[in-house]
Amino acid sequence: MNPAGTADTADTAGAGHAGTSPAGPVDSVGTVDTAGLAAAPGTGSTSVSPTAASLWRGGRGVLLVALIVVAAAVAGVLLGGTGGQDRRLDPDDTSLSGAGALARLLEGRGVRITRVTSAAEARAAATADSTLLVTDVFPLTAGDASRLAGAPGDLLLVGGDRRLRTLAPGLRATGEARTRSREPRCALPAAAAAGSVHLGGTTFAVPRGGTGCYPAGDAPTMVGYRDGDRTITAVGDGDFMTNLRLAEDGNAALAMNLAGARPTLVWLVPPPPGEAVTETGEQGIYDLVPPGVKWAVAQLALAVVLLALWRGRRLGPVVAERLPVVVRAAETAEGRARLYRARRARDRAAAALREGFADRVVPRLGLPSAAGPDARVSALAERTGQAAPQVASALYGPPPADDAGLVALAAYLDMLERQVRDS
Amino acid sequence: MALTGRAALLALLGTLVVLFAPRPGPAVAGVALLLAALVAVDLLLAGGVRPLRFTRSGDRLVRLGETATVDLIVENPGRRRVRGLLRDAWPPSAGAAPRRFALDVPAGERRRLTLTLTPVRRGDREAAAVTVRSLGPLGIAARQGSHRVPWSVRVLPPFLSRKHLPAKLTRLRELEGAHPSMVRGQGTEFDSLREYVPGDDVRSIDWRATARRSDVVVRTWRPERDRRVLIVLDTGRTSAGRVGTAPVPLAGREDRSSAGRGAGLGGPSGVLPGGLSGGLPGGRGGAETAPGWPRLDWSMDAALLLAALAARAGDRVDFMAHDRSVRAWVSGAGRTELLSSLVNAMAPIEAELVEADAADMVAAVLARARRRCLVVLLTDLNAASLEEGLLPVLPQLSSRHLVLLAAASDPQVAAMAAGRGTPELVYDAAAAERQGADRRRITARLRRQGVEVVDAAPEQLAPALADAYLALKAAGRL
Repeated sequence: MNPAGTADTADTAGAGHAGTSPAGPVDSVGTVDTAGLAAAPGTGSTSVSPTAASLWRGGRGVLLVALIVVAAAVAGVLLGGTGGQDRRLDPDDTSLSGAGALARLLEGRGVRITRVTSAAEARAAATADSTLLVTDVFPLTAGDASRLAGAPGDLLLVGGDRRLRTLAPGLRATGEARTRSREPRCALPAAAAAGSVHLGGTTFAVPRGGTGCYPAGDAPTMVGYRDGDRTITAVGDGDFMTNLRLAEDGNAALAMNLAGARPTLVWLVPPPPGEAVTETGEQGIYDLVPPGVKWAVAQLALAVVLLALWRGRRLGPVVAERLPVVVRAAETAEGRARLYRARRARDRAAAALREGFADRVVPRLGLPSAAGPDARVSALAERTGQAAPQVASALYGPPPADDAGLVALAAYLDMLERQVRDS
Repeated sequence: MALTGRAALLALLGTLVVLFAPRPGPAVAGVALLLAALVAVDLLLAGGVRPLRFTRSGDRLVRLGETATVDLIVENPGRRRVRGLLRDAWPPSAGAAPRRFALDVPAGERRRLTLTLTPVRRGDREAAAVTVRSLGPLGIAARQGSHRVPWSVRVLPPFLSRKHLPAKLTRLRELEGAHPSMVRGQGTEFDSLREYVPGDDVRSIDWRATARRSDVVVRTWRPERDRRVLIVLDTGRTSAGRVGTAPVPLAGREDRSSAGRGAGLGGPSGVLPGGLSGGLPGGRGGAETAPGWPRLDWSMDAALLLAALAARAGDRVDFMAHDRSVRAWVSGAGRTELLSSLVNAMAPIEAELVEADAADMVAAVLARARRRCLVVLLTDLNAASLEEGLLPVLPQLSSRHLVLLAAASDPQVAAMAAGRGTPELVYDAAAAERQGADRRRITARLRRQGVEVVDAAPEQLAPALADAYLALKAAGRL
C-alpha cells in the first residue's frame, strides 16, 4: 500500500505480461518490495523458531522470579515452625489455641492423659475411674453422642454442643453469654477453690440436684451435677483451658480441678484433617472405592492433559490480514427508507415518487421539462384517458392521509406510467 | 516440540495399568516416567527442522478468479529422515490449498510440494511461514519449527470486460475507415488520397491532386490518433460501496461460490444478480444478500477495457489513482505493455475510507497533463460528495480538458424503486426514487458544465464507457 512503490513499479518496470506469462521485470520489482529481508527472492529461507539459546535468554528472567518465589515459600515454611494448622484444645498442640500447657500440668500431677480421635476409641478407653473430656471442637454425630452417653466415668463437656441432650441427660442450654472474667458464686469445690475464671459462651439451665457457677446475669455458664454414679460437668466455653488463657485468673486451677479429678483423662480431639473416618456403617461412597481408582483418575487427568497438548498445538502461526470493508452501497437508500417508515413520512415519500414519475413520464409526453403543472396534467389526462382532476390530485394533490393511500398512489402512478409507455 | 495422539493414547492405556496395579501410586509415577522417556527418545531421534532448506518457485502473478501454483522445494541436509507434516501458511484470502502436506524427506534429498492459490481478493499476498512438524520414529512426539520463506503473489484485476473488446474494436475499425466510409464527419485528420468512387462526398475531392493526376481524387479522413486519455480512478470512500454481484466468491462464502462464479466469469453480463431478489423483501434481507463487488473493482474493469481500446486506437493512455493524494500513476507505457502496467498498478489498490480530495485531484491532473486530453473520471455519482468536492473545482479541469465521468449505479436501488404493494416496499421505493432523483440532478448539473456522464449498471459500465469513448472519437471531440 505504498503509493510511491506502486508508482515506481508501474513507471520503471512496466513490462510483464498481464498474468498470461508471469515473468519479467515487474515481478522482481514486486518481490524486492515485499520480500523484505531475503537477499534474493526464491532462494532464502530463514528459521523463525526460537533456539534453545534464545529461549534461555527470553525465559531466564521469568525463571529467576519463579526461583525467588519458590525459595521464599520454602524459607517461610521452614522458619514458620511446625507448620501444622492450629488444633484448638488439643493436648498435643502448643500454639496459643491449643491445650498443651494444661496437659503438661495434668501429667505433672500424675493424671494419665489418653488422647483419642474418635467416639469409639473414647468409649473403649473410658473406665469408671476416668474423666471423659469432650470439647465442642469435636464434630459430634448423633451416633457418636449416643455411644458416648453410655460411657462409664465422669464427663466433662466444654462448649454448648447441640448433642448436649443425648450426651448429658437433664442438661439444657438456655442462651449465650460474653466470655469474660467471672466470679464463681457457688459452692462447687472445684469452682470455689479456683476463684474468678475467664468463662462465658453457652449458659445452662441448672438440672435438679445440680449446682450452677460463674453466672452471667442469673444463668450459670458452668453446671455440675450427678447422674447416677457419674459426675457431669459442663462449661460454656473452652477458652480458659487454652495455652493463651491458662495463666490468667484461676483458669489453670479450674481446669486442673475439673480435668484432673480422676487419675485418667480421656481427651477426645478431632481426627487430623484428611484422615478418613473409618468407622463401620458411616463410610461414604468414596471410602468404598479402591485406592487404585483414585490413582487411575489422576492418570486419566494426565491423559487428558496430553490430549489437550496434542490438539492445542497449532501447526504454524495464525495469519492475520487486513480485510476490506463490506458495505453495500444500497445501505444509504435502505437507511433513508427506514427513516421514512419510522416517521411515517408520507409527504416526503409521495413527493419522491411523484418526482421520479415526472422525470420519466414528462419527456415521453413530448413536453419540455420546464412545462407547468397544468400542461402536464392536461397532456397526461389526454394521453391516458383518465379524468384530469384525478390525475391532478395524484400529481399535485395533498400527501396521502395513511399508508394505504400511499400504496394506492404508488399503484396509480405506476398505472399512468404504463399507459403512457404503451400508448 | 509437539505431542501426538499416540502420547495421549499411551497415557490412556496407562490408566488401565494403574487401575489394576498392586501399588497404584508408584504405577502412576512409572507410567509418567516411561512416557517422558519415550517422548525424549522420540524427540532426540526426530529429524531436525532447523537445518531444513526451502526454495520456492512458481507464479508471481495471477488474475483474480484464476488459480496460481507455487512450488515449495524442501531440502533436508541433515543426517536423519524428516517425516511428518508441513503447513505453508498464507493469508486466508490467498485461498491456499492444501492446508497441510504430508512430508517425507530422506536425509540429503529434496522434495517438491505444489501449492495452489485461488485468491478471492485483489492485492499482494505474501507467504507467512512454513511450519514443519517432524515426527520421531515412535510417532509419539515431534519437533516443530517454522521457517520464513518469502514469496508474494500479486493478484491482478480480472479484466472481465475483455469479452467486450472484440465488438468495440470492430466499431473502432469502422471509424478508422478500414471499412469504406463516406461521411467526412467520421474523422477530422487527413489520412491519404485515393480515387474517387461514386458515392463519395464531393466536398472531399482534392482538386489540386485531381489536376495533377488526371483522375478525380478524394481525400480520406481518419479519426484523430495520438490523443491523450487520462483515466483517473477515485479510491475514496464512495468507491468502497459494494454494488452488483461479485463475480469472484468472497472469502468465507464458499457456499455461494458456484453461483457467483457462473454469473460473473462464464455467463453473459446481463445475468440478474442473485443477491437482488433475495435481498429485497422489505429491504430487511441485508444479512443474506451477497455483499457484491466494490465500485472500485467495477471501475477498474471499465478502465481496463477503455485503456485496451484507446491503446488500439492509437491514443496514449495514462492512469492515476487518487483519494487524498496520488495513490498510483502510470504514464508513458508503450502500447503493448500498457495493460500489464495498468493491472500491476491497480492490483494493490484498495478503497480508503476517506473523503476524496477533488481539489488535489484536479491539481494533480493539471500538473501531469499539460496538453489537452480526455480525463475519464471513474467515481460515484454521489450528489453530496460531488457537490462539495468536484463541482467547485470542475471548471479548472473542464476548461483545459474534456472530462468524462463514469459511475456504476446500484442495481439493488433500482430494484428497490420498483417495490410496490405494501407500505414498507413503497417507502423503500420512495427512498430509492429520491436517490435516483439526486443522481439525475447531479448528472444534469455536470452536463451543463460540459462534462460527459456515463451512468450504467455495474456489469454494463465497461461497455457503456467504451461506447462513450468511441462516440467522442467519432465526433472528433478528443
